[in-house]
Amino acid sequence: MLNTKDIWKRFDFPLFAAVLFLSIFGVALISSAIAGNPTLANHPQRQTVFLLIGLVILFITAAIDYHIWLSLTRPFYIVVALLLILVFVMGEARFGAARWLQIGTETIQPAELAKIVAIMAFAQYFSAHISQINNWKTVWQSLLLAGGIALWIFLQPDLKTTIVIAVLWFAMLWISGWKTKNVFIFAGIVILLFAVFAALDFPLLADYQRERITNFFNPDPEARYGDTYNVDQALISIGSGGWFGQGYGQGSQVQLRFLKIRHNDFIFSVLAHEFGFVGTVIVLLLLVFVIYRCFAIAAKAPDAYGALLAYGFGILMAFQTLVNVGVNMRLLPVTGLTLPFISYGGSSLVTLLLGIGLVENIHMRTDKKLPAA
Amino acid sequence: MNNKIYEKPTIQLSRFKWVYILIGLVLLYYIFQLFNYQIVNGEVYRVQAEDNRTMEISDQTQRGKIYDRNGVVLAQNIPAYNITVTPAELPDSEGLTRLIFAELSELIGIPVSNGVVDETVASTFTPCSTDLGIEQIVYIADTNWPFQATRLSCGVSKEIAMAVQEKAMDWPGIGVEIESIRVYPTGNLTAEIVGFLGPVPESMLDYYTELGFVANRDKVGYAGVESTMQDVLGGTNGKRVVEVTVGGEIVRNLEEPIEPIPGQDVYLTIDTRLQSAARDALIMNLDYWNWYLGYTLSTSGSVIAMNVKTGEILAMVSYPNYENNRMTPYIPQYYYTQLTMDQAKPLVNQAISAELPPGSVFKLSSALGVLNEGVVTPEQTVNDPGTISLVQSYLLNDPNPKTLQTYYCWNRDGHGDVDFLHGIAWSCNVYWYKVTGGYEGEVPDGGLGIYRLGEYAKALGYGQLTGIELPGEADGLIPDPTWKRLNQGENWATGDTYLAAVGQGYVLATPLQVLNSISTIANDGKHMQVSLISKMEDALGNVTQSFEPVILWDITKDAKIQEYDGNIPTGVMKTVQPWVIELAKRGMEMVTVEGGTAAIEFEGDTNKVAGKTGTAEYCDDFALANRLCGIGVGGWPAHAWFVGYAPYDDPEIAVVAFAYNGKEGSTLAAPIVRKVIESYFALKAADADNLP
Repeated sequence: MLNTKDIWKRFDFPLFAAVLFLSIFGVALISSAIAGNPTLANHPQRQTVFLLIGLVILFITAAIDYHIWLSLTRPFYIVVALLLILVFVMGEARFGAARWLQIGTETIQPAELAKIVAIMAFAQYFSAHISQINNWKTVWQSLLLAGGIALWIFLQPDLKTTIVIAVLWFAMLWISGWKTKNVFIFAGIVILLFAVFAALDFPLLADYQRERITNFFNPDPEARYGDTYNVDQALISIGSGGWFGQGYGQGSQVQLRFLKIRHNDFIFSVLAHEFGFVGTVIVLLLLVFVIYRCFAIAAKAPDAYGALLAYGFGILMAFQTLVNVGVNMRLLPVTGLTLPFISYGGSSLVTLLLGIGLVENIHMRTDKKLPAA
Repeated sequence: MNNKIYEKPTIQLSRFKWVYILIGLVLLYYIFQLFNYQIVNGEVYRVQAEDNRTMEISDQTQRGKIYDRNGVVLAQNIPAYNITVTPAELPDSEGLTRLIFAELSELIGIPVSNGVVDETVASTFTPCSTDLGIEQIVYIADTNWPFQATRLSCGVSKEIAMAVQEKAMDWPGIGVEIESIRVYPTGNLTAEIVGFLGPVPESMLDYYTELGFVANRDKVGYAGVESTMQDVLGGTNGKRVVEVTVGGEIVRNLEEPIEPIPGQDVYLTIDTRLQSAARDALIMNLDYWNWYLGYTLSTSGSVIAMNVKTGEILAMVSYPNYENNRMTPYIPQYYYTQLTMDQAKPLVNQAISAELPPGSVFKLSSALGVLNEGVVTPEQTVNDPGTISLVQSYLLNDPNPKTLQTYYCWNRDGHGDVDFLHGIAWSCNVYWYKVTGGYEGEVPDGGLGIYRLGEYAKALGYGQLTGIELPGEADGLIPDPTWKRLNQGENWATGDTYLAAVGQGYVLATPLQVLNSISTIANDGKHMQVSLISKMEDALGNVTQSFEPVILWDITKDAKIQEYDGNIPTGVMKTVQPWVIELAKRGMEMVTVEGGTAAIEFEGDTNKVAGKTGTAEYCDDFALANRLCGIGVGGWPAHAWFVGYAPYDDPEIAVVAFAYNGKEGSTLAAPIVRKVIESYFALKAADADNLP
């Protein structure tokens, strides 16, 4: 066992520095995105407070051996599932979906926490069943595990988080050694189900979700306001950025509020608009660096649980980043997935920093002298 | 999978490369797309972003006013009050907003809720002409332009506007907008001169947009001086290029704003008092005769009065006309349709646009010609037996003479031997037939002939535009053999010359041309530029242009008459000798005294009026359709003309009166001219008394 002092020597500072930079940069972009909107005025301060809380949580998470967290996976899973049921039952309606839990004056999104808990649960289950990974029983049982929280998220209805959990489930099952043949068999079953689902016109989706899907595949040329407005303005914002952008706090699309949801889903457009191609690529590379570190740490993790944990978290960030950027550039339908560390959102930022704490935790407990696990 | 130290199975490290490849490929594709958007097509998006944030605002200017020569307002702008709503400024509380709507609804009489907003309704929504309720209008405005004031109710009374204004503190978002609308204090008294406004026409959209006009907001002149003086009256809108937020809120000016330049005020030469006298005289005389005869003889006509020495138009009446106040602020469709369907064409200014046979007033053209060309001497008499017959010949020494045609004098008993002066005074047709067209044994060589008659008519202004500052002026017609061959497919006959000599046949003229021709003679041959514009003033009161009399030509000094050798122009030009004009004037003086054709009408006249009657037979489409065109003398209906000037020893004013289908120039038209001239001198005397 390594002692505490040695442990902190193995803290991955480049990873932490990148995360800290991205988070602070996020606060700065949110400040620019206020653009005189009084309802957004306190968002930078709030995000700063969440960043500080998140950093404290990061260090606490990193300090306690992840095997202790492993033993707490089941209670976490149950708590999160209960919270999600609570949201489903008594969540308040906003934007056509109930996703928040009101605690005093604050609201929290249990779905954000659910992502981390899902990663923990999958890591625990797959690491425990890694030798029977190609038994269909393992597949169905892990699917039930996923469904235990995903169902409530889906019913909120929150399609994007449901998809995130599905992606995590698949990615983690696959890296655990799921045979390609089985993947195809499973994919065949899923496509069949989807076809039936589509033929019934997506009966379980909320109207706005169905609209988003049809809008993406079949944009209505008559629609001037609303449906395609946001993505059109996002594209104008990105495109008008040029090499170096219009300057921080200077972008007309942002400051005159042509770009909507600019502090959140479309913050990538703010980045591209005000910092241009060069700034955007730098930030993307930083995000890639964070993801890369997660995978690198996973590859050297001392056990399968640690490896799956770090890998799963890397997949979460990679998926969110790629989907968010794709949405901003109009390459994917609007999903509402945020850009990690940069988009506004307390639950999201705190959860991400918690995840980074877990990854640091694994890195700190990997013996450098030992070859990869 | 290789080099496993621990026995326990672990994850598939070899599969990481697939993850890297997948993420790497997607990322590369994204960066490639980003490069496309930002660098390759950056300019396209920059233009769109620029389009988003810039808005051009046109600040409406004030149209210039129109006055008469004495400063009486003929057209001005008055404020109209509109109640507006700015959705973004309405209170956040829905209850409070509902309360405001309910109270406002009671005040302005628009229902709180009416109609359903769908895409069609929203896209065709036009403020001021909608049945939608307040909530529906607010919904449309809030979706599309939340920061702009949208009109809820237009043209409300000042009281309602004040009441709304007082509530300003309690009713955030509800406002009063003051719009300028055109009104015409003198209404239909001067409508044919002043005209009216309308929206920028579709066909002229590019032209007016280029000048900075805004379609659907700015109005332009459609008729009268409002139309011809559009460029002077219209002014120039101001322009601001501003940066706006997504809601239309103005952030700042992007360019130095250009202030609007108000239109100039235009003063007309019209004297509204004389205009009123002329209109009353016309209407009363028509009414009198329609009543006296027991049937409707004439219901339309025109009167024009001008200053003989300067060419200023003092009054111009075209009756019936229209009420130009009904054309403002919007031209009502039903009224416009009614006006265009009316047989009397009230939208057309008959005084300048109607091409009519001038009748006997045209004899003055023949008069100048026959003396100046020496066809007859003033003392030489020609016999008028009442009717003469003429074998129509279409060619010189025509081998196949056509039918024998009879030409009548209006007095079928005949005037006997008639000299030049009595030819005018008695308006003896046969005298003018013979001297103008020639008559075997009395007037040799074909008389004056059609070519030379045309020269004198044109020298008096016939057959050409006067250039008066009104739209739609017609140029009339002075026919000649070439014209007849081209338009009628026939050769010119001697009879055509006979008819032309007395202003019948193919000759057409507008009332203004008739007046102008007589005014030229009264002014001793000086042909003045007729004008309606007295002066123009900019918004600061500086006179930018004022009326100066312009002599277009003097027929006694400027050689306007082409000499002919037979039918061939020689290229030599000559003038009219002053004594010829003197004699023509003498003839017209005799018209209004004992023995003259208008002697009865001018009995007791003290203003020394000289003039000429005209009874012009016509058979236009309307008359033909109504079977009014009979055969023989008196078979055709006739228009009534009288043109006169006074005082004949130093003429100041010339007046023409025309009554459509008025039958007799002396009875229908002459009394009108007399009244206008009397009013003119009465006003002159009154003005002189009022001078300090």
